[in-house]
Amino acid sequence: MNKKRKVTGMIKYVFVGLVGVAMITPFYWLISASLMTLQEFLSVPPKWIPSDPQWHNYVEVFKHVPFLNYYFNSFVVAILSTVMVLLTSAMGGYAFAKLNFIGKKLLFKFTLSTMMFPAFLFLIPNFYIITKFGWTSNYLALVMPFAVSAYGIFLLRQFIMGIPSDLIDAAKIDGASQFAIFFRIIIPLTQPALATLAILSFIGQWNNFLWPLIITSFSPELTTVPVGLSKLSLAFSTYTNQNLILAGTVLEIAPVVALFLYLQRYYIKGIVLTGFGGI
Amino acid sequence: MKIPMKSSRRENLAAYVFLSPILLFFAIFFAFAVGFSVWISFREWDMLISPLDAVFVGPSNYVVLFSDPLFVSSLVNTVIYAFSTTIAVVILSLLIAVALNNLRYSAVWRFIYFAPVVTPAVAIGIIWSYLYNPSRGIVNEVLGWLGIPAHNWLTDPHYALMAIIIVAVWAGMGASILIFTAGLRAIPQSYYEAARIDGATKVKMFFSITLPLIKPTTLFLSVTGMIGAWQVFDLIYIMGTNAPASSVQVISLYIYKTAFVNLQMGSASAAAMILFAIVLVTTLFTLGIFRKGGIESYE
Amino acid sequence: MRKVFWILLLIGILASFTTTAKTVLVIQTHWSDFQVNGILDKNGNLVYPGLKQYIDEYTKLNPDVEIQIREVPFDNYLQQLLVSHMAGKAADIYDLYSLWAVQLVNSKILDIPPSDILNGVKNDFVSASVKGATIDGKIWGIPSEIDNYALIYNKKLLTEAGYSEPPKTWAELIKMAPKLTKYDEKGAITQYGFAFLSGWDSAVVHPYLSLLYSLGGAMFSADYTECLVNNPLGVEALNEELALFKEKATNSAGSVFDFPHNTVAMMIMAPWYVSSLKQAYGDKYDEYVGIEPIPPVKNPATVAYTWFFGVDNASKNKVAAWDFLKWFALQVQPNTNTTRAGDLEVNVISVIPPNKADLENHLAQLADLKVFIDQLKNSVQEPNVMQGAQIKTILMDQIVAAWNGQVTAQQALDNAVRKINPILSRYYH
Repeated sequence: MNKKRKVTGMIKYVFVGLVGVAMITPFYWLISASLMTLQEFLSVPPKWIPSDPQWHNYVEVFKHVPFLNYYFNSFVVAILSTVMVLLTSAMGGYAFAKLNFIGKKLLFKFTLSTMMFPAFLFLIPNFYIITKFGWTSNYLALVMPFAVSAYGIFLLRQFIMGIPSDLIDAAKIDGASQFAIFFRIIIPLTQPALATLAILSFIGQWNNFLWPLIITSFSPELTTVPVGLSKLSLAFSTYTNQNLILAGTVLEIAPVVALFLYLQRYYIKGIVLTGFGGI
Repeated sequence: MKIPMKSSRRENLAAYVFLSPILLFFAIFFAFAVGFSVWISFREWDMLISPLDAVFVGPSNYVVLFSDPLFVSSLVNTVIYAFSTTIAVVILSLLIAVALNNLRYSAVWRFIYFAPVVTPAVAIGIIWSYLYNPSRGIVNEVLGWLGIPAHNWLTDPHYALMAIIIVAVWAGMGASILIFTAGLRAIPQSYYEAARIDGATKVKMFFSITLPLIKPTTLFLSVTGMIGAWQVFDLIYIMGTNAPASSVQVISLYIYKTAFVNLQMGSASAAAMILFAIVLVTTLFTLGIFRKGGIESYE
Repeated sequence: MRKVFWILLLIGILASFTTTAKTVLVIQTHWSDFQVNGILDKNGNLVYPGLKQYIDEYTKLNPDVEIQIREVPFDNYLQQLLVSHMAGKAADIYDLYSLWAVQLVNSKILDIPPSDILNGVKNDFVSASVKGATIDGKIWGIPSEIDNYALIYNKKLLTEAGYSEPPKTWAELIKMAPKLTKYDEKGAITQYGFAFLSGWDSAVVHPYLSLLYSLGGAMFSADYTECLVNNPLGVEALNEELALFKEKATNSAGSVFDFPHNTVAMMIMAPWYVSSLKQAYGDKYDEYVGIEPIPPVKNPATVAYTWFFGVDNASKNKVAAWDFLKWFALQVQPNTNTTRAGDLEVNVISVIPPNKADLENHLAQLADLKVFIDQLKNSVQEPNVMQGAQIKTILMDQIVAAWNGQVTAQQALDNAVRKINPILSRYYH
């Protein structure tokens, strides 16, 4: 019995390890390639370790493009929209999961249906609206069209449904208002889901390209990191600057990695907070 | 058991207060755009003249689409792509999330499995083109050890879509694992303890506790995965450009090209409406499956 | 205190008057950052001025004009133009690919240039580029770039295989290519005798058109009512490509990234690729890279495509816009006998300048592109037809299908014509 368990444990580690190698490889390659010279980057067979790490590739990126400005813009945009997405998703998720109201089923299906149209359909009409609001040279143009996420509402609805209704009923009997229930019970209990949504929403905004490209072509001072990087590359698919672009890409994803590592603890914390040994 | 509850006036009010920012948002950034798209889908519009001057052509944009062999093959490719990626992602990421759940150093593992999610699509495209390279790539190398002849993965019409689906599954798993992990964390440990005392095996616990209790998460990932997969664009745009269009092109790429290469926004909008109808039906169908098979209604 | 306030207010009003009195021009380009900002050396000193430095020079001469640059990457250029135009925020000056411009002219987006500019373009520019800027019989702007194609080959690989010279005819190329092709034991090509590129429409269609023109064929009838690629000459041109597949000298998996790995013996490419090869090979460039005219099937020929500067019809400052363009792209500087746009194109953007004066007076800098420039006389401008991009995509899809053996040359081109002719019939009668 014990031996068998050990063997299955081994198999599990081997499986998880092998797939893990496949998962981390491109990430590793990206960092490694960003430290290569152009010649090395183009060598055959492809190199996996830079023979002489070119740290100055990163310096070059900062020299070529006002990267700190791009960082600042990206942070403002990603944080503002993530905060809004978290708030609206929790509110919507709670309403759909725990409240009974007229038109609930229909509204929920409507919410899902907003995800079913390709993004470029919205390009022209929404840009038109943004210009009518006079937001084109404003962070609002980059944030507001992403303030609500149907994906986020759906995700939190699924998690909030798992919270026992007894908890809510008990609070109601104690005379708690809906808002008190929302902020004192629902929000603390959904921390793992909120952390997940925060990281996914942040990544989505941080890497968002097409919309910020259109907006910032009118107001370059709002340029975000991915749009700035695209200007570093040549018009056609050539390799000039390719290694610099990879260094820029590493700089692009570094904050996302940091955020992920920071938010990890909420996976554990969420459970500890409830005091139920689980929700 | 679902307890039938009457919605009180106060609850109605509270619900709509909670939903009001969301509804306002949809009214501004969704309803206008979709309404406009429906309207323009019956017109011929090159996005250069004013839409008010666009010529009304009736339903012909819709009719013409189905006589275009490329639209039909795009539809078929999308169906293959959507079903295979969604099913593979949900099953694989559930297994991995369960395997990772009580593993030592689970934070490190979570990061490793999350790496593709933070890696931008362009970098993913470059690395996989290396891996799939017919002569230099690892894929043919490894298959060669097994005696399998080399293939031109990304250009051969027989393999290109499959090769991209594999990348899509690989790239899509990270987020799903994360969400499954959050879902697994929400299952009370006491259930497992009780089952262990009863002498249940791990496999039995997986099927009788984990699987039913993780169902809301599975439903979520199946539905959103499917909706996302129907609209796949980036991966095909980056990796599917060298194979014959009829064997890899998907609908959203067809819509994109119709709009921004052919400058036929009317036709592109019509295709988007057809895509919407298909995704809607598939989603309702998926929701239906989960409702039927459950002990509790999640819908 | 109050006095100070009034003075400040007065200054404010005056300042706002002077700023609003300025003519603001927006110029939209697809050039990347260093092409706009100029090339700097390691110490940050300017080596070659970019667009921005030329604009600074102009605005110093014309203090009442302010020029803003709108940088948009090539892939999103047309999209940005459409979106901004719809919202009433269009640029005043565009750098346009001629196939896009056809659509813009059709929807009356472009302004007709003043007559002195028309004459300048007619007299000073190479004829393929003038044809490129001509749509429906009228010239719509000043050519900014002309690209054609040549055979790029790997000298080392040819020598290794015992060839001291590149092929002189297409038949010779077909004979040489298999001997320059290597397979590994798994059956994958490790060295391409000849590599076809794919991934974007021009990469596939332009080499095909070059062969078609070499045979004396045409893509369309003169009045654009009919697509002619399924005629015998069109089919023969595609079969000339397919011969290389039959000889197992190539497959459809070649890519732009293969050549610098020394795994491609020969390919057909445009001048902009040369600067990347120089980057990739460094000081070994001359040792490895050879450029020759495309080996003709019959007569020497290559396709050419053009970019040109145009002005938006809705611009409030059309006169100022054309004045700037005249100064930038038409007037020859007395000390160098070149245009400012030509200097930028040659030194920073690395493309062929379409102005004859620039071609003559930039000889040293253009040495690497000499073959391309010599071939301008054999270059046929890609036809400026309505829905050109759509038609090209249809043709590309069918050619790639034929490469992969899904259809024969005749079937592929029949399929293409079946889709293309109804498109043409909507615009040309």
